[in-house]
Amino acid sequence: MGKERIYEDFSFLHNRVRKSLYLIIVVFSFLALGYWKVQILDHRKYWSLSEANRLREIKIPAPRGLFVDRNGVVLADNIASFKVGLVRENNPDWKRSIPRLAELLNLEETVLWARINKYTSQPTFAPIIVKDSLSLEEIAAVEARRLEFPELIIESEPKRFYPFGSLAAHAIGYLQEVSAEELKSGLFPTKGTGDLVGKTGLERAYEDWLEGEDGKKWEIVDSLGRSHGEFDRVEPRPGHDLRVTIDFDLQRKAEDLLQGKEGAVVVLDPRSGEVLVLASSPTFDPNKFVSRFTSKEWEELSSRADHPLENRALRGLYPPGSIFKLTVALAALEKRLITAETAFFCSGKAEFYGRTFSCWLGGGHGWVDLPEAIRNSCNIYFYNVGRRLGIETIASFARRLGFGCLTGIELPGEKEGLVPDPKWKRQTQGVDWFAGETISVSIGQGPLQVTPLQVAVHTALIGNRGRKIKPWLTLNNPSPQIGGDVGDNEGPGIQPEHYEALVEGMWRSVNASGTGHLAKVDGLDVCGKTGSTQIISREKAEKLGQVIKPHSWFTGFAPRYNPKVVVTVLVEYGGLGGASAAPLAREIFSLYKEKYIHD
Amino acid sequence: MIDRRLLREVDGLSLVLVFSLSLIGLLFIYSSSYYFSSSYYSKQFLWLLVSAISLVVVLMVDYQHLLTFSLPIYVLTNFILLLTLVFSRHIAGMKGWMVISFFRFQPAELAKIAIILVLAQFFSRHRQDRLSGQMILGSCGLVALPFILVLFQPDLGTAACYLPLLLASLFLAGLSRKAVVWILILTLLLGIASWHFYLKDYQKKRLITVVSPGQDRLGSGYQLLQSKIAIGSGGFLGKGFKKGTQSQLRFLPARHTDFIFSVISEELGLVGSLTVISLFLGLIWRLLRSVELARDRGGKYIIFMVACLIAFEAIINIAMVIGFFPVVGIPLPFISYGGSSLLTHFLAVALAVNVRMRRFANV
Repeated sequence: MGKERIYEDFSFLHNRVRKSLYLIIVVFSFLALGYWKVQILDHRKYWSLSEANRLREIKIPAPRGLFVDRNGVVLADNIASFKVGLVRENNPDWKRSIPRLAELLNLEETVLWARINKYTSQPTFAPIIVKDSLSLEEIAAVEARRLEFPELIIESEPKRFYPFGSLAAHAIGYLQEVSAEELKSGLFPTKGTGDLVGKTGLERAYEDWLEGEDGKKWEIVDSLGRSHGEFDRVEPRPGHDLRVTIDFDLQRKAEDLLQGKEGAVVVLDPRSGEVLVLASSPTFDPNKFVSRFTSKEWEELSSRADHPLENRALRGLYPPGSIFKLTVALAALEKRLITAETAFFCSGKAEFYGRTFSCWLGGGHGWVDLPEAIRNSCNIYFYNVGRRLGIETIASFARRLGFGCLTGIELPGEKEGLVPDPKWKRQTQGVDWFAGETISVSIGQGPLQVTPLQVAVHTALIGNRGRKIKPWLTLNNPSPQIGGDVGDNEGPGIQPEHYEALVEGMWRSVNASGTGHLAKVDGLDVCGKTGSTQIISREKAEKLGQVIKPHSWFTGFAPRYNPKVVVTVLVEYGGLGGASAAPLAREIFSLYKEKYIHD
Repeated sequence: MIDRRLLREVDGLSLVLVFSLSLIGLLFIYSSSYYFSSSYYSKQFLWLLVSAISLVVVLMVDYQHLLTFSLPIYVLTNFILLLTLVFSRHIAGMKGWMVISFFRFQPAELAKIAIILVLAQFFSRHRQDRLSGQMILGSCGLVALPFILVLFQPDLGTAACYLPLLLASLFLAGLSRKAVVWILILTLLLGIASWHFYLKDYQKKRLITVVSPGQDRLGSGYQLLQSKIAIGSGGFLGKGFKKGTQSQLRFLPARHTDFIFSVISEELGLVGSLTVISLFLGLIWRLLRSVELARDRGGKYIIFMVACLIAFEAIINIAMVIGFFPVVGIPLPFISYGGSSLLTHFLAVALAVNVRMRRFANV
């Protein structure tokens, strides 16, 4: 065998071996090229992917700006709070752990699912907040089972806290979770799933100013989402504080006075338009539902018949009643239909267009001139004046004096009210204006509708002798997202001397045993006007055999010259004239005097 | 026992290359698993010692004797494979493990050696440069038996490694170009058939994944995507030893076994991957050059099959981790964690070196 071996020819075999070697070299070169492409040409792309892999971005929520009253009392604060987020990306199996998760968080499984389903369109790395305002026990329970639930993250966040509960709740507003629709609409470009945004009040109007800028931190995480320490962070920028014009003491006083009633109080500085009090009753405690979850309280409040969530001061629409007589008087003076001395005889009733209209005082007021008519709030006087003016002129002056349009306060949802005229009636009801209606409108009844805030602004205008102001709620004057540039700031263009007759009447009303005498404050020249709003006509009420008390108005300013404060009070079903509104106004005037006027 | 002159003929370069690769493997098994205080690298070190000793032992025995006993070795191997299939318990979803005290062992790996020997012996009597149908059928049958036994474990990856041995020997024996084409067609048909009848869903997914890895980020594409991220983020110089974020933070699956090359690429960059590729190419080149030196046909077949085995496995693994090839369970020879694989490849190289050092007929 050995000899044969020597003569064996291996050239074919060696040839094939060499061919194999070439093939292998080609394949290896091809692989080397592949690695060159991935590691050199595509390096940047894969590098950023690996960074994204190992770094988890966590938001550090910025504390929201505080609300501070004009004297430095903190009305809205932040406290530390903890929330649990579900990061679906961290656990591909998260769906199966939902029942155990519900148990851990002490939530209904259906509630949890509803919560998650709301946000399934969000990217899987975005945490879905499934519970907030955690107790210490809940935090401990979640932390203890971190390995079992890699999809859970606990984050601390500053939570809104209103130290005085319901105080100025309607003005300040409250926060609620940004809805999926709002996120889609791009209304809040900086917000994400589970963020809270201002829903009403100043919280909403100054969202941009208050919100601040969230910080970020990056944690190094492994494939199971376990943290291996912090990599980098950008500190949050806290939101700006908002100094509001609200006066804590006056606001609290007003709310105390409204306790148990339904109504509104507006106090403002007629010089600047700063709103010192914006109270609406009944009210609510926003602390009870500063959460991502529609709490029982909120549902209860929003469905209650007396609408505690409504801000009556700027959303409540009421006929102005006798307060409107001031408008009618101004129109008549300016149109030179009357002077301050023009007198009409009041016998208790009068007939217009074949219908009998009566004065509130059965016996009548006798001969009254303008100041006396205002002092006694004589209906007959104004029936006569109104009839001479006609509805078009009344409506035009009412609008010039601030009714039927927004005051421009920087709060969402303000209502315009309604100044009726023949055109309006034709458009809405398809019938012509009935001349008798003008008589009703002359004393502030009929379809006329105003808000307490409009009445306050109107009163300030009279106290200022024609200078119109815009109500304003902030002192450090950032630009609001809502309100602001509505309506012109020009006065109604009425001769200044015309106001003096009105002011004289208003002074007498309070200080000379007029209808507003219950608002009299010793040592302070309060000028005011009462009003009552017929909810149904007196005839109808008599027919029904039940007495529904009218809404009670009082609006006034003080002192008589260069007024510093305007107080407007509305008490729903408060009774005739100043019966319940005027005493409230007195309390507020006297507190104001105590606090701000030192002789 | 062994001639001194023989020692001088031991191919030092091959051994240096093999030990270099093994040490790189040891280093990166350490890098990819030290943080969970595993015993992987110490176990691998033990296996390396065992392998080195086995290498020396194999060198002492003339390969001619081994070829003579190739048939009994082959029969015994198949018997063991059958026993493992029937009796052993499942480990990692497969029945391919033999447990001898604390060493777990995969006979399917060692079967490669038996197949190399039996094929070399089978073809050594074949003196023409053209193949007869009988030869083809015979060699196919020899490979088919262990192939089927391993396929049933089921370990497609290891079984697939038997095929290049068959193909290499047939090619050397003069398989015509026409036949090569036929084999390719047959492989294709087999592939289609196995797609429908044999491949499990996860294996199908892996194949789909090669085409579009982005499709299913957390599913089967996840492994591949993470591996590509690891390799690509390594760049030119890498992130540094033990500093690969993909591997240290466990984004990379099977870091110490099938995907160890990704760890090397991530931590040492293109420099690292090209170094390892070059070491493999160097070893294969050296082995293939040795074929010409072998004194007889059987020896030539042995070396050629050993070279092809290593080339095949290295190419598939290196192509697989970068996404050029479906994820099949073929580890990187000498480097991936796994005692059976390490020992098998050491034995294979030992056979090749054995043939080369005994190239002079008179020694």
